[in-house]
Amino acid sequence: MSKKNPTWRRYLRFWGSDVESDLRDEFEFHLDAEIEQLVAEGWPAESARAEAVRRFGDIEQFRERCRRSDERRVARRRRLLSLSSLTRDARYAWRSLRKDRAFALTALACIALGVCVTTTSFSAVDAILLRPLPYPNDNRLLTITSEDVTRGYHGANISYADYVSWRNENRSFSSMGIWTWVTKTITTGETERMQGASVSANLFPTLGVRPVLGRNFVPDEEVTAASDVLLLSYGLWQRRFGSDSSIVGRTISVDGRPHRVIGIMPPGFAFPAQSEFWMPFAHDQLANEPHGNRGYAGAIGRLKPGVTFEQAAADLHSIDARMARDFPRDNKEWTADVKTLREDLMGDLKRPTLVFLGAGFLVLLIACANVANLLLVRGIARQREIAVRSALGAARADLLRQLLVESVLLATAGGILGALGGMWMVRLARFAFPNGVPFYLTFDPDLRVVAGAIAVILLTALVAGAMPAIQSTRLDVNRVLREGSRGGESLVRSRGRTVLVVGELAMSTLLLVGGVLLLRSYRAYVDTDLGFDRAGILTARITLPEKSYDDLSRRVSFFQTLEERVRAMPGVTVVGSAQGIPFSGWNTGAGLGFPDPSISPPDNPIDSHYQAVFPDFFPALGIHLVRGRQLSMSDRDTVAPVVVINESLAKRAFPGKDPLGQRLKFGPGNEPGPWYTIVGIVRDFRHYQLPQPMGPAVYLPYTEYQARSQTLVIRTTRKDPYALVPEVRAALNEIDPQIALYDIKTMDDAVAQSFWRQRLQSQVLGVFAGLAVLLAVIGMYGLISYGVAQRRREIGVRLALGARQSAVMGLVVKQGLALAATGVAIGIVASLALVGVIKSLVYGVSASDPVTYLVVGLVLFGVTVASTMIPARRAAAVDPIEAMRAD
Amino acid sequence: MPRSAELPLLQGTLDVLILKALSWGPRHGHAVARLIRDTTDGAFEVLDGSLYASLHRMEDQGWVESDWALSDKGKRAKFYHLTAAGRTQLRREAATWRTYAGAVSKLLDATVQPA
Repeated sequence: MSKKNPTWRRYLRFWGSDVESDLRDEFEFHLDAEIEQLVAEGWPAESARAEAVRRFGDIEQFRERCRRSDERRVARRRRLLSLSSLTRDARYAWRSLRKDRAFALTALACIALGVCVTTTSFSAVDAILLRPLPYPNDNRLLTITSEDVTRGYHGANISYADYVSWRNENRSFSSMGIWTWVTKTITTGETERMQGASVSANLFPTLGVRPVLGRNFVPDEEVTAASDVLLLSYGLWQRRFGSDSSIVGRTISVDGRPHRVIGIMPPGFAFPAQSEFWMPFAHDQLANEPHGNRGYAGAIGRLKPGVTFEQAAADLHSIDARMARDFPRDNKEWTADVKTLREDLMGDLKRPTLVFLGAGFLVLLIACANVANLLLVRGIARQREIAVRSALGAARADLLRQLLVESVLLATAGGILGALGGMWMVRLARFAFPNGVPFYLTFDPDLRVVAGAIAVILLTALVAGAMPAIQSTRLDVNRVLREGSRGGESLVRSRGRTVLVVGELAMSTLLLVGGVLLLRSYRAYVDTDLGFDRAGILTARITLPEKSYDDLSRRVSFFQTLEERVRAMPGVTVVGSAQGIPFSGWNTGAGLGFPDPSISPPDNPIDSHYQAVFPDFFPALGIHLVRGRQLSMSDRDTVAPVVVINESLAKRAFPGKDPLGQRLKFGPGNEPGPWYTIVGIVRDFRHYQLPQPMGPAVYLPYTEYQARSQTLVIRTTRKDPYALVPEVRAALNEIDPQIALYDIKTMDDAVAQSFWRQRLQSQVLGVFAGLAVLLAVIGMYGLISYGVAQRRREIGVRLALGARQSAVMGLVVKQGLALAATGVAIGIVASLALVGVIKSLVYGVSASDPVTYLVVGLVLFGVTVASTMIPARRAAAVDPIEAMRAD
Repeated sequence: MPRSAELPLLQGTLDVLILKALSWGPRHGHAVARLIRDTTDGAFEVLDGSLYASLHRMEDQGWVESDWALSDKGKRAKFYHLTAAGRTQLRREAATWRTYAGAVSKLLDATVQPA
C-alpha cells in the first residue's frame, strides 16, 4: 500500500520542484484512478488495488528510472537557468555601474593601479627567476670559478692548469670549456676598441649555441699560430658590415693584424655580456703555466644526464684535494667555486626581485581594501534597493551572486587595464640596467605572466568584493523599508570599514619604512667617502698594440707625450694615468714578500693590489700623500726601484713603525726578484666597488713597469668633462692613429653606475610606497568624509549647543589621527618583524634605526592631517539648524 | 479477469503510441495508459510502470512537457503534452513504422512465391 503524500510536502514545492514528491503524487494519482476504473468495471474493492498494482509492475524499479530521467532534466534546466541568470546579473551590474559613474571610475582606478604594479613585479620575477636562459636545458649548465677558502674570495679567476685537471679528471660533465675576457681594437674604416671573449672550441657547443652563418672554432685553432680567426656578434655584423654575408671568409684588422672572420653568432647572443666578437682560446703557450697563475675568467660545463649538482661539485672538490696535495703552494687554499649558470648570472638579483614582488602585492592589497571600502559604502547607499528586492522574493544567494558579478566586472575591467599597463611598463626595464638589459634576460610578457595577471584579477574581485557583498545582503528588511533613507549603518559595518582603513595604513607604513630604508642605504652609498674626488674628472682607456709597442721605452714616451698634449688643453689642470682606475672592475693582486719573513708568513701572506701609475694619477684623483714623497718621472732606476704604498699596507706590514725606506717584493721573500723601496704612503682610497673595503695596495711608477694599458685620468675645470673627448681623440690620433680611446666616462658616472642596483631598488620601492600612501590616504579620506556626513545631526547639535568650530574640526582631525596612529603602530611592529627580509639590501644604516620610523610616522601623520582637513572644514561649516531639521 | 495472450511490445513502439495518444491533446499518465489499452484492445502487454518510464524519458528528451493541473474529477494530476519536437518525432516514427509494417506485410501476404 502506497503512503499518501503528506499535504505539507506539497507546500515545499513553492520553493522549487521536488522530484521525489512529484513522482510519488503522480504514481499515487495513477493507482487511485486505476482502482476507481477497475471498480467501475466490476472488480471488487480489495482485489482492485492488487490488480492495479499488478498492472503497474515493479513500482520501485520504475520509480527509480523515472527519478533518474527527472533529475537529469532538472539538472540541465538548472544549468541553463544559472547561465541566463549570470548574463542577467552582468547586464544589471553594467547598468548599475554606469549610473554611479564616480564610484565605478574610482574603483576602476584603484584596481588598475594595484594590478599594474603587481603585473610589473610579476613580469620581473618571471624574467629573472622563472624563465629559462636562452640555452637548451640551461639548468644543466654550471659555471666554475675559483674560491679562496681561507680568505673567502668567491668567483675568482681560474688557472689553465686547474681547468685542465678538472676537465680531464672529472666524471660528471659531458663537456667543459674555458673562456676569458679579451679587448681588441678592430679596424674597418674606423678604429674601435671592443669587448669580446676568447673561448675554447667546445664552449659554444657546451652552451648549445651555433653560429647562424659560417662555423664555430675547431680545436686546431686553439694554438697561437692558428688563432687569427674571429666570430662576430650579430649586432656588430649588422652595424659595421651591413649584414653582408660575404664577410665570412674575409679578413679584418684586429690589433693591427689580419684575422679571418669565420662566422656570425645568433642575434642577441653576447656571451658573457656585451661581447662583440670571439676568438679561440689559444693554450699552446700555457702548458707550463703553474696552477697558481689564475688569470682566466672561468669554465663552463654541462652535466652528464642523471648527475646532480651536488655530485658534480663533490667530484670537482675531490680533484681539488688531489691538486692541493700535489701543489700545496698554489692550491692548498683554493677550490672550485661551482654554481649553476643561472645562479651565477642572476643570483644577486633574486632577493631584490622578490622584495619587489612582495611590495607590489602589498600595494594590490591596499587597492583591494580601498575598493572594498567603496563597495561597502555603496552597499549602504543601496540598502533600500536590496531590501525591496529581497522583500519581492530574491534569495540571499541570488543577491550575493549579483553583487559578486558586479565586483568581478569591475575587477576585470580595471584588471585588464592594469595588466596591460604593467606589461608595458616592464619595457622600461631597459633603463634600469646601466648597460641595457643583459642578453640572457627577456622581459616580454609570456603565458605565465598573463596567467598570473588573470589570477590576480580574480583574487582582487574576491578579496575586494566578498566582504562587502556579504555585509550588504545581511540586513533587516523590515527595518530598512520602514526607516527609509535614514536607515542607519550597522555598527558591524562601520567597524569593518575602519579595520580596512587601519589595515591600509599599516601596509603603507610597512612599504614606506622599506622605501625610506632603501633610500637611506642609497644615500649612504653615494655619500661614502671613497677617498678620491669624483667631480670634474674624465677617464678614458688606451691599450697599446703588442707588435708596434714591444719596445718598453716607446710605451713610456707614448703616454708621456699624450699626457703632455692633454695637459696643454684649455680647462685641463692635471693629467695622470693608472693601469686600472677605481670602480672599473679591473684588478690585479699578488702576494708580497718582505726582508723580515714574519711580516708575510707563508700561512698568512699579505695579498696586495698593485698597479703601474703615472705620478700625476694621485693628484688627478685628489688622493693625498700622507708621508714621504710622490712617485716621479725620474724614478727609472731598475736596480733599486721604488714604490708608493697605501695606509692599509703600512699598518698591516709595519705596525707602529716607519715604512719609509723599508723594502718589499712581489712573491715570497725567498724567491728571486727585485726589491722595491717604499718612498711614500698615500691615503687609502676605494678601488673596489662598494661595499667591498679597501685592502693593501702598492703603486709602481710606470717608468719601472710599463703596462700595455693605461686609463687616463684628466682633471678639468670644464663644466662638461665629456666635451674634452674629441680633443683628446684628436691628440691621440696625431700621435698614433692606430690606437683607439675606449671606456670613456667621467668618474662621477663610473661611481654612479656602480650604484645602479641600489638606486633602482630605492626608486622602485619609493614609487610603490608613494602609491600605497596615496591609496591609503584616499581610503581614509573616504571613511572620514562619510563619517562626517553621517554625523551631521550630531555635529549640528554640538554647534547649536555652543561648541566652537575649531573644536568640531579638531574632533574630525583627531579621529583621523587615531586611525593613523593605530595603522602606523601596527605597521611599525610589522616592519620590525620583517627586518630580516630586507637586511641584506640595506647598507650603512641599521634596519631598526629609530630615525626611519620617526620620519615615516611624521609623514603619515602629516598626510593624515592634510587629508582630514577637508572633511573637517566641511564639518565646521555645517548649519546647525539645517542639520537638525534634515531627515 | 483473465487476460488473453498478450504480445510483447517491440522496442520503441511504446514511445510512438504514447506520442500518438498525446497528439489529440494534453492527457495525464493514467488517461494515456487507458487510451492505449482500449484502442489496441488490450493486445499488448504493457506495464503501466514502463509507460511512466517512457513518459519521463521523453520529457528529458524534450518531446513532451508536463504541467500539474486538476483532473476532470478535481484531483491534482500531472498532464503531458507534445512539444514541437515531439510532433516531428511522431511524424517520423509513424512514417518509419508504416514503411516497416508495409514491407513485412508485403512478403507475409504474398500468395505466390516471388521470382
